[in-house]
Amino acid sequence: MPDMRRPWFYILLSLAQRDRHGSGIVRDVLDLTSGELRLWPVTLYGSLDELRENGWIREVGAAPVADEDRGHRRWFRITPQGRRALVGEMERMQSIVTVAQRRLAGLGDPS
Amino acid sequence: MQPHAPRRSLSARVFHLLLRVLPEDVREGNGAEIEALFADQAADAHARGPLYHAAFVAGAAWDLVRRAPYEHWRRRGRHRNEDSPMRSFLADLRFAVRSFGRQPGATALIVLTLTLGIAANTAVFAIVDGLFLRPFPFPEPGRLVYLNERAPSWNLEFTGINYPDFHTWRERASTFESMALWGEASVNLADASGAERVNGLAVTWDFAKTLGIRPVLGRTFTKEEDGATPSRVVMIGYGLWQTRFAGSRDVVGQPLRINSRPYTIVGVLPREAEFPGNTQFWLPLNGDPNQKGENYGYDGIGRLKRGVTIEQARADLMRAHAPIWVARDSAHVVSPRLDGLRDQFVSNFRATGNVLGAGALLVLLIACANVAGAMLARSIFRGREIAIRQALGASARRVGRQLITESLALAAVAGAGGTLLGRWLLHLLLTFGPDQIPPWVQLQFGVRTIVFAVLVIAATALVFGLAPALQVQRADVTAQLVSGGAGTRASVGIPQRRMLDALVVAEIALALVLLAGSGLLVRAYTSLRNTDPGFRPEGVLTFRLSLPQAKYPSALAQRQFYSTVVDRLAATPGVQSAGVITCLPFGCHWGMFLRAEGAAPPSRNASNPVVLTRYASARYFETMGIRLVRGRFFTDTEGGPTGPHPVVINEQLAKQLWPNVADPVGKRMIWNGDTTSTDWLTVVGVVRDVRHYGLVKPMIGGLYRSAFEADTVQPLASLGIAVRSASGEAAVAGAARAIVKALDPELPLIEVRSAQAALDRSIADRRTIAFVFAAFAGIALALALGGMYAVLSYVVGRRRQEIGIRMALGARKGQVVGLVVRQGLRLVAVGVLIGLPISLVALRELSSLLVGVSARDPVTYSVAILLLAATAAVSALIPARRAAGVDPKTALGEG
Repeated sequence: MPDMRRPWFYILLSLAQRDRHGSGIVRDVLDLTSGELRLWPVTLYGSLDELRENGWIREVGAAPVADEDRGHRRWFRITPQGRRALVGEMERMQSIVTVAQRRLAGLGDPS
Repeated sequence: MQPHAPRRSLSARVFHLLLRVLPEDVREGNGAEIEALFADQAADAHARGPLYHAAFVAGAAWDLVRRAPYEHWRRRGRHRNEDSPMRSFLADLRFAVRSFGRQPGATALIVLTLTLGIAANTAVFAIVDGLFLRPFPFPEPGRLVYLNERAPSWNLEFTGINYPDFHTWRERASTFESMALWGEASVNLADASGAERVNGLAVTWDFAKTLGIRPVLGRTFTKEEDGATPSRVVMIGYGLWQTRFAGSRDVVGQPLRINSRPYTIVGVLPREAEFPGNTQFWLPLNGDPNQKGENYGYDGIGRLKRGVTIEQARADLMRAHAPIWVARDSAHVVSPRLDGLRDQFVSNFRATGNVLGAGALLVLLIACANVAGAMLARSIFRGREIAIRQALGASARRVGRQLITESLALAAVAGAGGTLLGRWLLHLLLTFGPDQIPPWVQLQFGVRTIVFAVLVIAATALVFGLAPALQVQRADVTAQLVSGGAGTRASVGIPQRRMLDALVVAEIALALVLLAGSGLLVRAYTSLRNTDPGFRPEGVLTFRLSLPQAKYPSALAQRQFYSTVVDRLAATPGVQSAGVITCLPFGCHWGMFLRAEGAAPPSRNASNPVVLTRYASARYFETMGIRLVRGRFFTDTEGGPTGPHPVVINEQLAKQLWPNVADPVGKRMIWNGDTTSTDWLTVVGVVRDVRHYGLVKPMIGGLYRSAFEADTVQPLASLGIAVRSASGEAAVAGAARAIVKALDPELPLIEVRSAQAALDRSIADRRTIAFVFAAFAGIALALALGGMYAVLSYVVGRRRQEIGIRMALGARKGQVVGLVVRQGLRLVAVGVLIGLPISLVALRELSSLLVGVSARDPVTYSVAILLLAATAAVSALIPARRAAGVDPKTALGEG
């Protein structure tokens, strides 16, 4: 399975915590990456479309908490498939990290 | 909808526009959010400083541009069943390019054909546009009119304007905002850098106001400076300002030596003041309203008040002129005339422009018919493919659109090539074309020409794309599929054959119009070339000198100067003879009215043609090679203020004054209006008519007086000098310059040219039009024959089986060849039958350009038809031989 695209991964990661709207995702991803990855508007919404087509996220009608950012129409929530995809990606990363750690430590690859 | 600030910032608006590069559904689904997010974050960025903001906007825009192709790509194939016009056009285009790529030779031929047609049209349009469509470079040019006077009984459509007449008009006419006069004035400019002859105008003080132009520097003339007493002020043209004064801004107030007298520069004219042609300065006209005698010679221009029509102004001018008729012209010999300004200056070119335009259009039509034929043949060959597409559900409209797209693609390529080629053609036409086009006419390849080219290309694409498209509309899908469509077995469908035949017939008919037309023009040009100009131009060099009155105040001083120049020229090695004359052929005009001795004074309404009057030296005739018909030439010692006045007349004048006299030598005549009857002119000789007004215009009556009889300053102020030599014109010109410079370094030589060049120049426009039309006809012939070749090859291909059967049944090769050639000739015959009446009607338009040839000249038409038939037979021969080469066994085996 190929690597998950970076914007997808971070969007899923951001939504794994809670429902967010577009600019909420951008801010969260900036925080997560220490400002290294900025999701520009077109890339953000293009990626959100793709994730939705994959069935990994869906739109929800209203803000999770009353009063919060009422101006935004569209909120996004991660689906169970999305969580599975995120977990799968995480495991893939995990396994490569494990291999890397063992090699750097002079140990053999895990069986 | 917009949750954010109602007034969008500039960056937001730009971003909004940029969003259009995204697929439509992205914009519909997310556009508002994307923009909102952008605005939101842009505001944050803005708060952190302008640099930060700029970086953000750039980043967002870059993201958009980078992502857009991916978004489009992601949607590929998603709308396959939706027939969006853009998408299907692009698909058609790809299809067209692929299918053309499979037949590079045929495609190149089609593109080349169209390129030629389009090039001819754009080049000719640039000329027609410059001459007839572009406005004058003055404000509200529609209100400008040209003024002059006419005298039908003098045989003059334009007499020039008499200053007192103008003065009366100006005071009495009420429909004009202003009116002004100009007269041509050429002067010698001299300073330390050398002598120069420059052309300019003498103008009334309100000339600038009438044209609607303002000086670049300084001022125009005052009313006082344009009074009856001359004032030494001058306005210099833009060109003179740049070349002589390097555009210096303190030129106003500086002196300028004109005709050896000091003048003061009061202003600098703008570029457009070159009107009516190559004007480099203005002087005040200094007309005298009380001038005695009839001195016609000025041109007039008027600016009409707003809303006044030409007819109203014409009526008003007649009314204003009325007192002049009462006072001194009861027979209404001279009356004012008023015309549109453009009509006056480009009317000479109107016939040329029309003819070239029509010729170019015909070439384009033939090219279209040719390409339509080729496309049609292609579509017939592709009948099976098209039928399959239709069977699979493509509508006839859809397939038709595919064919139109193909023609558009071809037209676009040919259009680009044709426009470039047209540009080059225009350059060629201007290089070899007539040089008498007024310089304010802009003959350039500008935006308007490009727009025209695009229109022509679009129209072309439609015309030749339509035939095959129509064919598809009525194609019978089942029949195509059952019969095997493009297979070699089927014979050609009758309607398709008819359409192909019709196209070839149309090409032949149009080609005949062009061939006959160019034949007529070429014949007219050769007959013009063979016209006897009345002199022998070989080896003759001519130039003019203009003696300023300041240095040469008397006729005596002028005569002495000319005598010295001519004597020294005649003594130059290689020179055979040299002579002087007031007006060289194709040069100036000086008219007089004459009456034969014994003839009653003409009644006022009777025709009284003007007589061209020239003063010449005795050796002028010998130098120019003018043949004596009767009597003798005068000598330089003959005549004088008191003695008899010997004159040499031309044959035309002899016929005019003494129609019933065989030998007019010894007859006498007198200036009309000379009531004292003392200055009788005695005819001593008759010479051949010299075609003074060019070979196209008929010669009028003319006479020569002895140059050394001229007793006033005026006639000799400007004189033409002719030199016949065996040593070549360049050497003589050098010698002449040296001789004149030695006598007067301030005096420039004017219009130095060989007599042959002057003669060629006078018919250059006819040569150009004949040449261009012949080129058009050549292209037309090649295209028509190419079209016929294509159709016959196609037909032979389709009839292989039938030919095979004929040959199996005993037909000889000759019979088969004859069969095909006859078929070609039948097309030519029908084309000629249709083209002949069209030519006879259409080519009447040429008659104004046809001198010495009738527009129905049977020889030209016969040659054109024979040429078409002969070349058609040749072009039919190749497919015919191919048909004769058919091997019956193979052909039948295919069945």
